[in-house]
Amino acid sequence: MNMSKGKLLIDVGSTYFKVCTQDHLEQHFRNFNKSIHDDLTQKCGAIIDKFDKQDIHICSSANGGLSTLIIGVTHTFSLKYATNIAFNSGINIIDTVLYQDIEEASIPSDLIDVVIVVGGINSRGDVFAEPLFNYLKGIDYSNIVYVGNELDAESIKANIPNIAVLPNIIDDRLHIVEEELKTYLTNLYQQDIMGKQDIKDLYDITGNQIYSTPYIVNRTLPLVDAKFSVVNPFILLDIGGATTDIHYSKDLVEDNIVTENEFDRLVFKKLGVYKSRESLIFAAKSNEFVGELLMHLNVTENIFADHSDKATHILMQLAIFLVLCKMSNYHQAYINLKLLAINSIVLTGGITKVLSQEEVEDIIAFFYTKILTSEHRPVTIMDTDYAIWTLGSAS
Amino acid sequence: MKVVTGVVGNDIHVVANRLIDLSLQARGYEVFNLGVNTYLEEFFDAAVETGAEVLLISSLNGEAEGWGREVKSLKREYKDLDDLIMVIGGNLTVGTGNAEEIVPKYKNYGFDIVCHQIDLNTGLDMLEEFIQQRDAGGQSK
Repeated sequence: MNMSKGKLLIDVGSTYFKVCTQDHLEQHFRNFNKSIHDDLTQKCGAIIDKFDKQDIHICSSANGGLSTLIIGVTHTFSLKYATNIAFNSGINIIDTVLYQDIEEASIPSDLIDVVIVVGGINSRGDVFAEPLFNYLKGIDYSNIVYVGNELDAESIKANIPNIAVLPNIIDDRLHIVEEELKTYLTNLYQQDIMGKQDIKDLYDITGNQIYSTPYIVNRTLPLVDAKFSVVNPFILLDIGGATTDIHYSKDLVEDNIVTENEFDRLVFKKLGVYKSRESLIFAAKSNEFVGELLMHLNVTENIFADHSDKATHILMQLAIFLVLCKMSNYHQAYINLKLLAINSIVLTGGITKVLSQEEVEDIIAFFYTKILTSEHRPVTIMDTDYAIWTLGSAS
Repeated sequence: MKVVTGVVGNDIHVVANRLIDLSLQARGYEVFNLGVNTYLEEFFDAAVETGAEVLLISSLNGEAEGWGREVKSLKREYKDLDDLIMVIGGNLTVGTGNAEEIVPKYKNYGFDIVCHQIDLNTGLDMLEEFIQQRDAGGQSK
């Protein structure tokens, strides 16, 4: 474990706590009938008491991410750009609406964390009008931000209460301008974590700012080379209880339009093995190769109704396969990674506590053979002692 | 006046694309050049985002033939592009071809102005004439 002397690092996940000192790591399954603070202090109080508040660092992904609705005027520019920026800010997209169809669009029933309105270059006015205002009246949302053309900004401000107005994300050459919206969304994500009462209570324990776990992991990536025998380029899969995060270097993406950071991140909100179990099973049943994979693993679909350790094992193997599918050309998604170009796959999160190296390699081999029809086999590296997040939070 | 231009389909004729861009600018148009290898949807989407009044697609060696057939149905999906002036130019068939056959075919695909193997400046003159006639009420879309 690589960490500074005298620090206590705590990661609060949706399913587990991980607590790490210089020479000791432990994890605890969360008790969902208790607040995080009470559960943590009961299980780890003895360790926590040994440290000064200033030496305790906490990160959390227990908020499950933000839900977003993007309203834009085209698929190629406004919706694509806003979606790209949102993904790279750690936001989970739940829906997009093409403005010309807004009068027929269904109204989301759930609370939306943030609505993004975007469209038109700055010299193009009169893009948004009554249909937008009427649609928004039917939506329950917490935040709304306008990043479209300047000419409509006044009318937007006058008609939509509490809307934040930021510079247009489309410049006059139709190129993306990412930074302002990205900062806004990243801050929102951070505020969401900090605003949760469960997390606020943790300031009783720490004198330091509580960060989101993905932020910490992203800080780690440039250091991963030094810690592990990783061969670049690599991807990092963090398969947890509620979500799956993929961190990847940007040269693995052909259609790379975000320019600022070396590494990007994608979140699959409903692809986890505990809290998101049902949606993972749904995704598995929709994949035409899963039957063959189950046969390869010597089980049948009945395993989905099972809650044994063996079923969790199988679900975790499925999660790896499905995530790789979502990143490949087989699944025409938002981003396709050049999976034949990667030399290493690093796995972190709860999955490393359950699956063996051989089981992971078996699934990766199945994926490369069946989906990419290739003999390519990236090196698999298991972050079994959570060194990834301790590297980031200690740095 | 705003013009969206680019080379349609799997076509990398960048020199012609650049010449069209410069010629349009020299005539006072505000140009949004999508470059080579551009899909039809990107052209229409750029017209929506910019509020362009003209879409000028260029093509060489017949690449436009396959894409041209999709123009009408794709454009119908957009609710605010009825007044967009549609222009296509270049070599619109494989080999040489006969303009008397090619021009009506592309007009039937939904283009207002078709410039098959015509000098660039002549084609842009045709565009200006079309705009003048439209503004005078003699050319309806």
